[in-house]
Amino acid sequence: MKLEHLRKDEAIRYLGYGENKPDDNILNLLDACERELLQVIVPEYIYKIFDIEKIDREKEKVTFKDCALELTGKDITAHLKGCERAVFMACTVSAGVDKLLRITQLKDMTKAFVMDSLASAAIEQVCDMAQEEIMKNTKGYGTWRFSCGYGDLPIECQKLFVTVLDAQKRIGLNVTESYLLTPTKSVTAVFGLSKEKIEKKRLGCESCNMKDKCEFRKRGERCGS
Amino acid sequence: MVLKNLLENKEFIILDGAMGTMLQANGLEAGGIPEELSITRPELLKKIHRSYIEAGSDLIYANTFGANSYKLEESKYSVEEIVSEAIKVAKEAARGTDTLVALDIGPIGQLLEPTGSLSFEEAYEIFSRTVKAGKDADVIVFETMTDLYELKAGLLAAKENSNKPVICTMTFEQNMRTFIGCEVSSMALTLEGLGADAIGINCSLGPAELEPVVKELSKWTTLPIVVKPNAGLPDPETNLYNVTPVQFAEQMKNLVKYGVKIFGGCCGTTPDFIRETVNILKSERYVKNCPEIPSAVCTPSTTVVIDSPRIIGERINPTGKKVFKAALINHDIDYILSQAIEQTEAGAEILDVNVGLPDINEKEMMITAIKAIQGVTDVPLQIDSTVPEVLENALRIYNGKPIVNSVNGEKKSIEAVLPLVKKYGAAVVGLTLDENGIPKKAEDRVEIAKRILDAALKIGIRKEDVYIDCLTLTASAEQEGVMETVKALYRVKHELGLKTVLGVSNISFGLPNRELINSTFLSVALANGLDLPIINPNIPAMSGAVRAFRLLSNADKNSEEYISIYGGEPNAPQPKKIVKDENMTLDHAIEKGLRAECTRITEALLENMDSMDVVNNEIIPALDIAGTRFEKGEIFLPQLIQTAGAAQACFEVIKQKLAKSGDNRVSKGKIILATVKGDIHDIGKNIVKVLLENYGYQVIDLGRDVDYQKVVDAAIENDVHLVGLSALMTTTLDSMEKTIELLRKNNVDCKIMVGGAVLTPEYAMKIGADFYAKDAKESVDIAKKVLG
Repeated sequence: MKLEHLRKDEAIRYLGYGENKPDDNILNLLDACERELLQVIVPEYIYKIFDIEKIDREKEKVTFKDCALELTGKDITAHLKGCERAVFMACTVSAGVDKLLRITQLKDMTKAFVMDSLASAAIEQVCDMAQEEIMKNTKGYGTWRFSCGYGDLPIECQKLFVTVLDAQKRIGLNVTESYLLTPTKSVTAVFGLSKEKIEKKRLGCESCNMKDKCEFRKRGERCGS
Repeated sequence: MVLKNLLENKEFIILDGAMGTMLQANGLEAGGIPEELSITRPELLKKIHRSYIEAGSDLIYANTFGANSYKLEESKYSVEEIVSEAIKVAKEAARGTDTLVALDIGPIGQLLEPTGSLSFEEAYEIFSRTVKAGKDADVIVFETMTDLYELKAGLLAAKENSNKPVICTMTFEQNMRTFIGCEVSSMALTLEGLGADAIGINCSLGPAELEPVVKELSKWTTLPIVVKPNAGLPDPETNLYNVTPVQFAEQMKNLVKYGVKIFGGCCGTTPDFIRETVNILKSERYVKNCPEIPSAVCTPSTTVVIDSPRIIGERINPTGKKVFKAALINHDIDYILSQAIEQTEAGAEILDVNVGLPDINEKEMMITAIKAIQGVTDVPLQIDSTVPEVLENALRIYNGKPIVNSVNGEKKSIEAVLPLVKKYGAAVVGLTLDENGIPKKAEDRVEIAKRILDAALKIGIRKEDVYIDCLTLTASAEQEGVMETVKALYRVKHELGLKTVLGVSNISFGLPNRELINSTFLSVALANGLDLPIINPNIPAMSGAVRAFRLLSNADKNSEEYISIYGGEPNAPQPKKIVKDENMTLDHAIEKGLRAECTRITEALLENMDSMDVVNNEIIPALDIAGTRFEKGEIFLPQLIQTAGAAQACFEVIKQKLAKSGDNRVSKGKIILATVKGDIHDIGKNIVKVLLENYGYQVIDLGRDVDYQKVVDAAIENDVHLVGLSALMTTTLDSMEKTIELLRKNNVDCKIMVGGAVLTPEYAMKIGADFYAKDAKESVDIAKKVLG
């Protein structure tokens, strides 16, 4: 996988501009950040497909065949409804990005802030490309991606999620004691696979931890997922 | 049988193949804890071990790969129970054979600082516990490592808590680097220096794909080389590997020529792979690998070979620098880091780090500075201190192979410093002086250099790792001594065959037009064999002289480097030009974020205006306007930060002026900022910092992942009345609450403001904060309210 361009329009949204156009100065910074990021980004992803053993609506729990990880909560139970299999995936833009962000913060905070948003856009881009590649090699229909810590799926499942994928060995992805992924611009996610066409439910704002103070929502927009 | 005998008596040493692959084939579910099986299913483990022994393994790895306190957190067994049982089971399987058993240690599972939150010291403790638990093993193996820093913690833990031989293997990708960016050369230089008994490569790829990595490694080490590859590459969907046992063995045979002594298999390999490898190697002979390893120092990502003059940046040193001294006293690490970045961008290839100041704890400061610097630069460091305890602590936490600055010809110095250089595998600068001072004559300095070299060789430091400093004398005071230094340098280089180092800038002390003297002396010294000039690389004439010399001495082939720096880059995209306006006012320059203009206008204003008037009547109102426009949604956060960054340029001019006059009025009060324990996302906190600083507040930045107690201590010690805490994740809000609790419990007389993505005003009040700051702008309003 190789990234040719980064989604600057996404980064502009993350920066809080909404529908407004940034001035030339910020647009120049975005160009510079894109060039520098593309030099250090090493996109990596890994995935495993598990058969769903049981979706237990009552206990709000999904179990998988030959897998020690159970996913709990009503949101993930609803999300995987109607699926026979699930893809566990992990993506990262790798540790070089963290270092570049550290250096840039010392040199120019505005640029660092712009770069941070662009790096966030980049990891989403990697996830989209990864999911697309996976779906190309896989039969059936896929749901949206759902991550540890979304809705009532506990973030504590992050550690086992990474272990199940052997992501530390395979793509250099680690989890801190407070369940944050490192390198920091990384994502783990699960999506369901179904033989039948399924209605792609949006991840409603209701299941989002940020719903009470989301700037996108205040403006009547969505953050993207 | 011990490993040493095996190495001496056997043509090749055969390791085992995969453990995980075998366990999964026997029903271990994904995400299960494989180490527990040593206790719950010992017979299965024994069967696997025996199958490898029967296939011909001389050394088997016990089932302890993930047996560390972090990975076993959720296990019902302790590290000690699991490790001792695993080794017992392996020993039982090996009973009646000569097969040795290794304590197998994989990565901890958490990234170390600065990308992760685990400290070097914590990693050392985690590894020490596993090493001690593995006391019954014959050998200690570290494998599948991607972070050289983590591996250094492990290797030190193994060496200091046992006397077993240690094998280290790391995992490289096709780009010849590990995931963390470690180079093969850096791995070899660092690990051989630290005393590993064999080093090599395991996992990630098959033997064919790993050939370039093995070849590169063979150029950088004299140790026995280990290769333990995967059975080719895995299919992403099925996770099955694509190389057969026979193909695997063929590819392994092809690696003999690089000096590989120890062969095994990693993911996807089975006893059949080992058996085929044993068979094919029967007709091969070990090719001892003895490359000439050059003088070189490194960080994980960069190896600097001293095959032509290399610039050592001298600026991280408080001697004669008021601003630097103030930064050390105020613990302003960002200032030191900006010095590091400025020098590397100007061309420094190694950085000297000296933080010695009478009033500070040099040891603590050196550790803090080195950890911080290696987080933001790739260049190797030269650890500069006169105190052996400071040197040792710095050597421990340095990531790679550094230079120690310095040892001298005194017996006391030689006995204190050289053993440290040896233990930590560093290079060392030897000063040609002793108890009688600096000899006047060149031949006496060469004599001392010889003495230092002999002492180094005697304890096993390589000649290539001894760099001699013949000491620059000041031309204005000892004019006749200048050429003696050059003469001594020439002889040390050409007669003793050692690399030379020289601090250049002292030569011109007390003279006008110092740059001219410095660059001329530098050129003379380079022509006489100087390898490592210690200079201020920010001065174009100095770094330029080195680059020109590299061109003229035919080291910079085809003048590539020279042209890339001085030839202009026609293809580089040019940023849009901003038209310079002579009549621009400061508020306009700040609003537009024009730093250079801000500097120029502030300098002009200060000619007729008091500093505080510039702050209060010019800078702050301009920032206020930007703040109001931000609140109204007319400008956005990047522009607000940009405004603050421009104001920062104004403040730098003002601070410099005030520092000259000893005036400290510019501070409106001190504020502590910290990203709470467990949280490593600190960009929000750093944005707040920039804004507060540019309203004239002095920010004590404790960084990220900050211990509760550290916040309390800093608040009391610095008599701070406003503390700002930041947390980005729901999981770390709890840490925020605990920090506040501890501040209150200790009756610290301060207000607390909190902020962060997931925080709400209600939650902020619930956890006992005084203020909730919804954004960076509001933190300034709060500071005004609390501190004025």
